[in-house]
Amino acid sequence: MAMIRDRRRHRLVAYSLILPFVAIFSLVFAYPTFEVIRLSFTNAPLIGEGDWVGWANYRELLTDRLFYTSLKNNGYFVLLTVIPTTALALLIAILVNRLSGRVQALVLVLFFMPYVLPVSVVTQIWAWMLDFQFGVLQPAIAFFTGKPVPVFKNPHWVMPAIAVVTIWWTNGFNVLLFLAGLRNIPTELYEASALDGATKWQQFKRVTWPLLWPVTALVLTLQLILQLKLFDQVYLLSEGGPFNSSYVLLLMVYREAFQLNNGGYASAVALVLFLVIMVVSVLQFQLLRLGGKNQ
Amino acid sequence: MKTRHLLAASVAALMAAGPAMAQQTITWWDFLSGGDGVRMKALIEEFNEEHPDIQIEATTLEWGVPFYTKVRTSAAVGQGPDVMTYHLSRLPLGLEEGVLTPITAEDMEAAGLSEGDFFDSALNAAKGPDGTLYAVPFDIHSLVLYYNKSLLEGTEFLDDNGELTGIESLEDFEAALAAVKGNGASAPVSYATGDDGGVYRVFYTLLQQQGGELISEDGEILPGDSTAKAETAIATMTKWFEEGWQPEQALYEASVALFTSGKSGFQLNGVWEVPTMVDLAESGELGFEWGAIEVPQLMDERTTWADSHAFAIPVQGEDEMDPEKREAVMTAIGWMNKHSIAWASAGHIPAYKPVAESEEFKAMEPNATYSSLADNASFDPRSQIAGVASPTYDAAINIIAPAIHGYMSPEEAVQQIKDELTRALN
Repeated sequence: MAMIRDRRRHRLVAYSLILPFVAIFSLVFAYPTFEVIRLSFTNAPLIGEGDWVGWANYRELLTDRLFYTSLKNNGYFVLLTVIPTTALALLIAILVNRLSGRVQALVLVLFFMPYVLPVSVVTQIWAWMLDFQFGVLQPAIAFFTGKPVPVFKNPHWVMPAIAVVTIWWTNGFNVLLFLAGLRNIPTELYEASALDGATKWQQFKRVTWPLLWPVTALVLTLQLILQLKLFDQVYLLSEGGPFNSSYVLLLMVYREAFQLNNGGYASAVALVLFLVIMVVSVLQFQLLRLGGKNQ
Repeated sequence: MKTRHLLAASVAALMAAGPAMAQQTITWWDFLSGGDGVRMKALIEEFNEEHPDIQIEATTLEWGVPFYTKVRTSAAVGQGPDVMTYHLSRLPLGLEEGVLTPITAEDMEAAGLSEGDFFDSALNAAKGPDGTLYAVPFDIHSLVLYYNKSLLEGTEFLDDNGELTGIESLEDFEAALAAVKGNGASAPVSYATGDDGGVYRVFYTLLQQQGGELISEDGEILPGDSTAKAETAIATMTKWFEEGWQPEQALYEASVALFTSGKSGFQLNGVWEVPTMVDLAESGELGFEWGAIEVPQLMDERTTWADSHAFAIPVQGEDEMDPEKREAVMTAIGWMNKHSIAWASAGHIPAYKPVAESEEFKAMEPNATYSSLADNASFDPRSQIAGVASPTYDAAINIIAPAIHGYMSPEEAVQQIKDELTRALN
């Protein structure tokens, strides 16, 4: 009897503990998600109800050239950022790990500082530095290319430039993750391998890399999700141009919803992006886990 | 005894007048944050002082998409302003969104205005397709041609009074550009070649001067020979770039700075930069004599891109606005128009003819020189994809700006404009 009452009380406590989460989750995630799905089958404007149009939005999407351009640009941006930023973060983490005490803390702060800045500040700093007429980095660009380049107005430069800005901005967080991973590797392994005559490179390949793999897989996956959600930097730096060479899916959602008043169509695009992110990230994480096991 | 009597009488009078005199507070939103914003705030303060029974509480929001998005979302749920500034180029989009209420004949009467008081071009732009008025025009602002007299010295383009002369065709204008280049101008004609507004206004002016049509009434983009005319407009702008006559990828501020620092002989920019020039000249920082005229006829017709600021009353969600408040709002709108001479000092041309035709305005320079354009201004096409912060403006930055810098041919650019705008329309 007492046990049953105990269990019941346990359950009550358990429910009351998860209730706040469930309530907030339903309010700010489950309900909006359901609404987006519902809206994507209507021709609703930004505000107010629309008529049920079935799959019409999706059919239109499949014939929309801008959708494919955006999808391609999203893919290109992922290529430009995910692996480079992960590799760079790993390199920085290994170097920082060799420092100690205050110097390490100071260097870490330097690398982490950009991450603290809001995106509009970051883009403003870079827009000034890369300004075509007055930017301090233009002489450096001119040194390599022979003349200044309006980076955010040039179809070949715009995506790589946004990628550089993004990596500079977000890399500090990845460095932290890698550093935590590196500190978790027992030092005995390095001592033992050193006694066996392993070189630095062998130590990295046989000890650091495999033991760090779970962190690497995590960083890669987080980066993939983050970079597919690209919007702010493009909106603030290039507005999708020139001639759509930096147009991405979220920008399309924004334009359709807030500028063209097509709430239904924007919902369809948003939902497709949501599915793309979900499928790609789950797939990638599983692949990476398999890759880790084989090592 | 007498005083008490008087007191009682005045209390009675006050009580009787009470309901009618109820203080009205008007929530006002605008997007005017520059030099014209300062002038608007002064006007509002003056209005509030003159009208103890009506108080305007003004908020300035960010120009463009942020402003219009906020208006739409807030008006739909009844949390919008009582009155707002509105670009008439955007009126068709506003009607499609359903945020505007009709301005009735009674409203106009309350404001002490009549339709005949306004320039036709602005008035028509304030009307819906069925002729219903949805906004009260306030000004007409357009592209004008600023010129630097010092850089033109010694050329045949200055007359004896030091005024610009002899520009009657594209050839003349380009000869003038070459001449000021010879006089040391690094960017003979400055405009914001790397911004949406700057590129759009010049493109639309050149298109209109050829009699081209950007969006036809039945929603065709660049119909018929307008395609070729658009290509000509872009090719002309591209030529100015290739000859080194216009700055490369200049953002708005840079384009103004090029002119004010004496590096450009000409500037194609809106009338709203007049206060900048006036102030710089007054403080002696300009270093050259300047003038501004209506954009000359470079192609087949004499016309210039123009837009209007207007006042509109948004819907209040499901509710109707209290008639007394509406009357107060219209009083304010009427007062603003009658005092728009102060607004003209921001370079704009009042849309209200009694002011625009007043001696005071006629004496105001350089407004009077270019106010003739009010009669043959080219407003944006009447379409829900045109106007400030619209897909048309996006096409300017996304397609025309790269094209005039040589990243694609005029033909490709025009084809892409057609594709994008057709897409946005459907």
